[in-house]
Amino acid sequence: MNIRNIIKYWRVTLTVAEMTVRHQLNDSFIVFAVLIQPMLIAILALFMLKEKGTDYAMFVVVGSGLTGLWSSLLFVSGNSINVERWSGTLETLVGVPTPFEVIVFGKNLASVAQSLLSMVVSYALAALFFGYSLHVDQPLMFIASVLLTVFAFVSFGLIIAPIFVMYRGVQQWQNALEFPVYILAGFLFPIALLPFWTVPISYVLPPYWAAIALHGTTTGAAPLEETFFAWGLMLVFSIVDLFIASRLFKFMLYKVRVDATLDTE
Amino acid sequence: MNVLTKNLRLFWQGTMLSYIALFAWLRPVTYAASKIVMPLAQMLFFVFLGTYATNSNNVDFYVIGNAVQITAVSGIFGVTMSVGGDRWAGTLPYLFGTPANRVMLFFGRAFMHVIDGTIGVVIAFIWGVTLLGLDLSHTNLPALGLTILVTTLSTCALGLLMGCLSLITSNVMFVNNTVYFLLLIFSGANVAIDKLPAWMQALSQILPLTRGIAASRALVAGQGLAEIGPMLLTELGIGFVYGTLGYFMFHWFEVVAKRRGSLETV
Repeated sequence: MNIRNIIKYWRVTLTVAEMTVRHQLNDSFIVFAVLIQPMLIAILALFMLKEKGTDYAMFVVVGSGLTGLWSSLLFVSGNSINVERWSGTLETLVGVPTPFEVIVFGKNLASVAQSLLSMVVSYALAALFFGYSLHVDQPLMFIASVLLTVFAFVSFGLIIAPIFVMYRGVQQWQNALEFPVYILAGFLFPIALLPFWTVPISYVLPPYWAAIALHGTTTGAAPLEETFFAWGLMLVFSIVDLFIASRLFKFMLYKVRVDATLDTE
Repeated sequence: MNVLTKNLRLFWQGTMLSYIALFAWLRPVTYAASKIVMPLAQMLFFVFLGTYATNSNNVDFYVIGNAVQITAVSGIFGVTMSVGGDRWAGTLPYLFGTPANRVMLFFGRAFMHVIDGTIGVVIAFIWGVTLLGLDLSHTNLPALGLTILVTTLSTCALGLLMGCLSLITSNVMFVNNTVYFLLLIFSGANVAIDKLPAWMQALSQILPLTRGIAASRALVAGQGLAEIGPMLLTELGIGFVYGTLGYFMFHWFEVVAKRRGSLETV
């Protein structure tokens, strides 16, 4: 993934993002993944954690919002190339002068950004339906955390999308990958509850560091150093993800343009 | 006798073909991902969340609730897609053009999912025992088996009704995903029914799963079939109502679609 391309073709990126949002707003499955499912998970978690006190309401809002972000990344961003294959537009897209990675970046940016709505919906739900008084403890740092989270998720999605299109065997596990990340990333409960051997897996997941940063800045419970550390790791993982994505895109485009096998395997 | 044999054959063929045609799950990896790993992961998520909520005091509550709720994977998703599959595959006009017995045809769509869903819950209980320390030593296992079967039947009946909705809306994935998650809230799988607001309690009483989960918890706690019998009968009754409503809706859809010529366009 070439960052210079993203900057050079920023208008294309934004146009693709806009078209993607317009298109996805009409897709009821995406509306479910981004709005309804996180809202239902928030309702469940608010009932389940009710006896923990009001402090946990904001934790649930952020956590259930993160479930929406991950589900959207997995099912929408993950299939951002596949849908082009299914609709027969993949060949055209790889043939246009605009680098294909720019188009996929724009699509993923839209998917991840719109799934932030899940956090807004959960917030409204906790405030209106459950009557919690909610506030963000460190608003500026929270905004910075959100921006870094979006970047980290988009970068992570750029790895998943080409893998899903090239390796159908991996894509078969798509449904099974949703809840494990909810668990391992500590969206709604601390990973200290999990067996010790799972901790290294959590540490290499960008969603885990996103959860640390977002939970820490909303509740104010985490020391600043911890939030900065989470930001740093989100950036590092994003750079690593973009590098891996660049290799994957190169390989995928080779299969499309030279082998011409991507649509037939 | 000949009619009965024909109908049974129709039931069996419809059952098998709709199941085989619909699911790529017959490939072991896909089946394992959708029917074993996904339910296990979902169960673990809610058990950990419940453990966190109650400081590990009530783990069995969440294990049993979520193990039984797994039946909705087959009951809601599987059955809905089996019924709706004819529309997506363009075979609905041919189906409605046959003189086949509609009762056999309709309920046959759910039969394999009853078996599949029951197996799914059994697998979930095995996970519960081996991974999460569920103790079944005081449990009447045949009664638990019966409870699982009855709960799966009633959930599949709701799935049949949802499947009929898939014939009149293109938003079927939205509908069945929403129903699936609503069952997680309203069935008492994760939140004790008496902790819900009154209107939610009332709604939970007319849904499948609610009594099945409560009966399973009672059986694991050491109660017998005599104590949970009334709950099972009501669960079965609820399933009967949903199944009947589904059948009448299916019949209504056929009549209206034939009259308007709108089989593929509704």
